[in-house]
Amino acid sequence: MATLLFNAAFGFYIVGLFHSAVGFLTKKPVFFRVAFLSVLVAFCLHSGFLVVRGLEQSAFPLVEIRELLAFFAWTVTLCFLLAHRRYGFHALGLFLLPLVAALMMGTVFVQAAPAPDLLRNSWVYLHTTAIFLAYGLFLVSFVIGILYLVQERELKARKPRTFYDRLPSLGVMDELFQKSLIWGFTFMTVGLLAGILWAGQTWSGSWYRDPKVIAALGTWGIYLLLLYVRLSAGWRGKWVAWISTFGFISVLFTFLGASYFGGQHIFE
Amino acid sequence: MNTLGLIGLSHKTAPVEVRERVAFTESEVPQALGELCRDFGFQEGLILSTCNRVEILGGLSNGGRPFDRLQQFVRSYHGLRESELDGYVYMLEEGDLIRHLFRVASSLDSMILGESQILGQLKRAYSLACDAGTSGKSINIVLPQAFSVAKRVRTETKIAFSKVSVSSVAAELARKIFGNLEGRTVFLIGAGEMSELAARNLLKSGAEKILVANRTGRRSKTLAEQFRGTAVRFSDIERFLPFSDIVLVSTGAGSFILDHDMVERTIRRRRYNPLFIIDISVPRNVDPRINEIENVFVYDIDDLESVVAAGMEDRQKEAEEAEKIVTEELKSFLSVREMNHLGCIIQSLRSTLEEICLSELKNFPDLDEKERNQLERCLKRTAHRIAHPLIQEIKNPLAHPVERRRKLAVLKQAFNLKDPE
Repeated sequence: MATLLFNAAFGFYIVGLFHSAVGFLTKKPVFFRVAFLSVLVAFCLHSGFLVVRGLEQSAFPLVEIRELLAFFAWTVTLCFLLAHRRYGFHALGLFLLPLVAALMMGTVFVQAAPAPDLLRNSWVYLHTTAIFLAYGLFLVSFVIGILYLVQERELKARKPRTFYDRLPSLGVMDELFQKSLIWGFTFMTVGLLAGILWAGQTWSGSWYRDPKVIAALGTWGIYLLLLYVRLSAGWRGKWVAWISTFGFISVLFTFLGASYFGGQHIFE
Repeated sequence: MNTLGLIGLSHKTAPVEVRERVAFTESEVPQALGELCRDFGFQEGLILSTCNRVEILGGLSNGGRPFDRLQQFVRSYHGLRESELDGYVYMLEEGDLIRHLFRVASSLDSMILGESQILGQLKRAYSLACDAGTSGKSINIVLPQAFSVAKRVRTETKIAFSKVSVSSVAAELARKIFGNLEGRTVFLIGAGEMSELAARNLLKSGAEKILVANRTGRRSKTLAEQFRGTAVRFSDIERFLPFSDIVLVSTGAGSFILDHDMVERTIRRRRYNPLFIIDISVPRNVDPRINEIENVFVYDIDDLESVVAAGMEDRQKEAEEAEKIVTEELKSFLSVREMNHLGCIIQSLRSTLEEICLSELKNFPDLDEKERNQLERCLKRTAHRIAHPLIQEIKNPLAHPVERRRKLAVLKQAFNLKDPE
């Protein structure tokens, strides 16, 4: 059942991606409507998949790496749907949906053992859910930051070309960038606190020597800096987009790379 | 009539580096025109120098070919070597020259088809030539005609950018930058039809506050009342810049009103909130380097027009329509000119023949008053009778123009007729 839902969701994502791309090229709103509807269907199937998976295992479904990748994709999709509906940010589909599709593909190829009983704990559930909501939002803010730069360059060049009509205004993108950043940062803070509380009780030795924890704190620091220059000094555009790119690279490292350095964050 | 010749370089034939080297600033033009007429033997002259084209029009009375002299003039004025302009320069005379002037005035030869500035620049060039006393009979006929063709093209086709389309594109760009214009402040520096239109458009799109600064305080007050905005003293511009989101500049000042440092300070005080500056003035009132400052967007009138052009379909069709008008106008202009020319020749043929016949009178010194009058009338009639078939022949509307010109030439030679002045 879960596999069926997953495959169906994947199929609808691909349909949505295709229509987003055609809509982007032709600028015809009908394609964006089809894209939105297919992604909405895919999102429902995707949510169904997560629920059914939890029911089948009779456990919280956001612990194991494959589940987390699927949840990552779910968060990004949710952002896409909101930006599309509330802000008419149609072009976002072309840039976010391939990432959603890639994350979904990732769940198929990644090998993972079932989660040990140690992780069956409410603090861990809160930790993983919040962290991956944050990652999804950071990915979205990273993409929007880049698109902001693209639109800004086009406006600066005073020659409207490819993106002028296709991307929303700088004002809208800036607002979305800031929103996803604030929410992402909030979730990350919650997730980190939950993780630290749990690790402080459970882990032997100090939690702050773990490479993944250090990487996560580093990432958190980068986003703290980004929020600071954005909200207090009012920076926007080039430098903010650079910091957000850097932050997202740090997210990827924390998520994928830090475990190579060992530590207690590997559960088998 | 003087024979006109034109040499020029434009964005179509020469890169900007070459055009720059032969450009004339407005203050140089009167002196250059003087040199053209004094040192190079031209009876008339006109210089059009814009960032996209440099054209020099010269008229010679003795029917000599003007191109060599025009080239010499350009080379000597700008200190260029013999072959430096080879391949960049076009040379036009007769019908081609007139068609070219009509097309330039109608903005059909412009980089951005239909842009609005070239007509003004051409008018300015003409008035400089008039002031310098170098516009003669030929230029005084051709240029005003070019202006009227341009006017016809502007009114009968959609090729020309309307002030409305340009000002609405300004509002569109503002929306592209700020998203929502609600609560935004528009700062109107100087006034003009286009900037007032743009301000109105911005208000319609949701902008809330208007600040107005004008050199004459009273004008600021009236404008401010009109827009229900606030009048600001001209010297206080920098103080109010940080509170403005969209700045519309259009004054007649010859220098920059907004400079780089001022805007850099402003953007810091705005905490890097975007600032959209629209410069509608010619010459420009906003330092173009300001566009390099992060989060500042500077558009001048050319930029706005190129945005309009990018968003317009069917421009090619409009251009074809405009070309048709130019061709039609050229034909009627040339035929009127030929008719005038013909009229003058006919007049001079009649009077020459009359003179020849009347010269017989002196062989009859003994006639009394009455007889003398009779004979004079008779001789005049004879002269007209001889002239009549000749005139019919050259006026024949069915004759091919080349054939007609040939006959005209024979007649002119036979009776030693002078070209009309």
